[in-house]
Amino acid sequence: MSENSMIEVRHICKEFVSAKKYPGLKGAFKGLISREKTHKLAVDDISFTIKEGEIVGYIGSNGAGKSTTIKMMTGILTPTKGTCLVNGIDPCRNRKKNAQNIGVVFGQRTQLWWDLPLSESFTILKEIYNVSDKDYEERMEFLNRVLGLEEFFAQPVRNLSLGQRMRADLGAALLHNPPVLYLDEPTIGLDLVVKDNIRAAIKEINEKYHTTVILTTHDIEDIEELCSRILIIDQGKLIYDGSLTDLKERYGTRRKVVMEVQDTEQAKRLPLNEYLGVAKDAYETQADQDSSTITISFDKNHLQVSDVIEQMMRHTQVKDIKIFETELAEIVKAIYKHSA
Amino acid sequence: MRRRLKVYMPFLENQFKRNLAYKGSFYLFILTSLFGPFISYYLWSAIYGSSGGGMLGGLTQSEMIIYVFMSYVTSSLVTVGVSDAISDDVMEGTVAMTLIKPIDYRMRLIFMALGEALYRFLAPVIFVWIGLEIYKAAVLGLGVTPVINILLYILSVIMSIFIHLLFDFCFGMVAFVTTYMFGMNMAKEALLGFLSGQLIPISFFPQVLQQIFEFLPFSSMIYVPVMVYLGKYSGMELAFVLGRQLLWIVLLYAFGSYLWSRITKRLIVLGG
Repeated sequence: MSENSMIEVRHICKEFVSAKKYPGLKGAFKGLISREKTHKLAVDDISFTIKEGEIVGYIGSNGAGKSTTIKMMTGILTPTKGTCLVNGIDPCRNRKKNAQNIGVVFGQRTQLWWDLPLSESFTILKEIYNVSDKDYEERMEFLNRVLGLEEFFAQPVRNLSLGQRMRADLGAALLHNPPVLYLDEPTIGLDLVVKDNIRAAIKEINEKYHTTVILTTHDIEDIEELCSRILIIDQGKLIYDGSLTDLKERYGTRRKVVMEVQDTEQAKRLPLNEYLGVAKDAYETQADQDSSTITISFDKNHLQVSDVIEQMMRHTQVKDIKIFETELAEIVKAIYKHSA
Repeated sequence: MRRRLKVYMPFLENQFKRNLAYKGSFYLFILTSLFGPFISYYLWSAIYGSSGGGMLGGLTQSEMIIYVFMSYVTSSLVTVGVSDAISDDVMEGTVAMTLIKPIDYRMRLIFMALGEALYRFLAPVIFVWIGLEIYKAAVLGLGVTPVINILLYILSVIMSIFIHLLFDFCFGMVAFVTTYMFGMNMAKEALLGFLSGQLIPISFFPQVLQQIFEFLPFSSMIYVPVMVYLGKYSGMELAFVLGRQLLWIVLLYAFGSYLWSRITKRLIVLGG
């Protein structure tokens, strides 16, 4: 294990075996006597290493195997094959020891005690994780500041709004200051303001405590704002592991220049390919009469944004210019489709 | 050890507080559960009346009355279970929430159940018990039960609670395989009422059945502590039944640990 790697996953596989189900009432009876099993490889030979202090986005479509991987890293599930080390500990062999090192937030579930006031849940967690009084006070002060817990600290968990509950859950996962934090869809169902708060909190925690964060999400903004590195999983296989900039570099080379012009018809008719000295299909032009804009999209490896703008400004009256990169969401969509 | 207690005590307290929060349903439960012993009381009175007095199954009529109510007291304390909690945890997938924490799942469940037992002890058990002692002294004219019997009973009943909890944990492991166990639970309760001596003292059964029942752990749950209370055991026999209770605790604990390690290897967490 290299010096500052926090998580090492080596050729991990998880296969689920379940009794085969048949459709209909007849099928239900058949199921009673049948011994046939279906095998599903939820995670198929995945390896990666995560360094201390990294925030890694773990993304994939529904059922891709994200949660299964997370569950193996937390020690809830035992891998069928392969090994996994978190902070030097095998989570499956040493579940309790590993649990002391990790914090987990499952966005769809709560780890708090439903009937009890939030404050009680924190007191229980303090005992469970053996947090000293001094650490507890210091940590609570920090969490109060970052997550604003005190406004609902005395309320029973069942009375909290989803946003409050998620903040509370995040706080609960961090009380014992774990070196590793797993966040499984931490912003699901939250409004924009709360999402921003949660993201800011994650960032601050990562900076202050150097916490390693693994985040699964369907919200591309989470990834853009938080993660320097992303892992993409599809049908149980790891299909991308690299930085966000690399991903954009590799798949996101389309650029879109939107110009507000005096006369859209005239601008559209301009022989831009001649001015630039390229083939006619090197770019696409679209005119919109209503907003009097013209949109030129092209691959930035073939055309320079500055050249396009320069030529357009020379030949027509341009009032406003906007430049768009390909959005990450589109890249990810393209990758999912591509591998399917 | 102290540190462990500190970790799991909150679960005991929590369960206790939860019960306080749902008082209404609990008093209703007490009321309906008291029907059982009173029906038994009248039934046995009729049986003894028509048999023309004397002993039945080694018990006099007065002892039978004590048996009926003490078996109610004992089963109220002993039948706090963990398998319902396990099956809920499995069905709702909340078992994952325990597994991400540095705590032992079984220990958590046991402490929750102890919280429940403590609550039941305060309401209604202690009142029924005191009521029975007053009745015994004032109406039956037998005087109160000797302190030594009470102490031995308490020791025995504490062991009974653990035997039942550890057994119920093993039973609850089935939930991980079937993921649904309402029917199994009904069957278990019916069987337990019969084999533990909760419905009929085991001494009423034919000799062969008695030996089989004594061999199973269920008789150690209710029959043994109640007979201890009645002072039916003495000397070596007393040591033997208490020792057997302890042995069951050890065996069921070990079997539960084995099942748990097997089950967690192939654990499937529902949902998500």
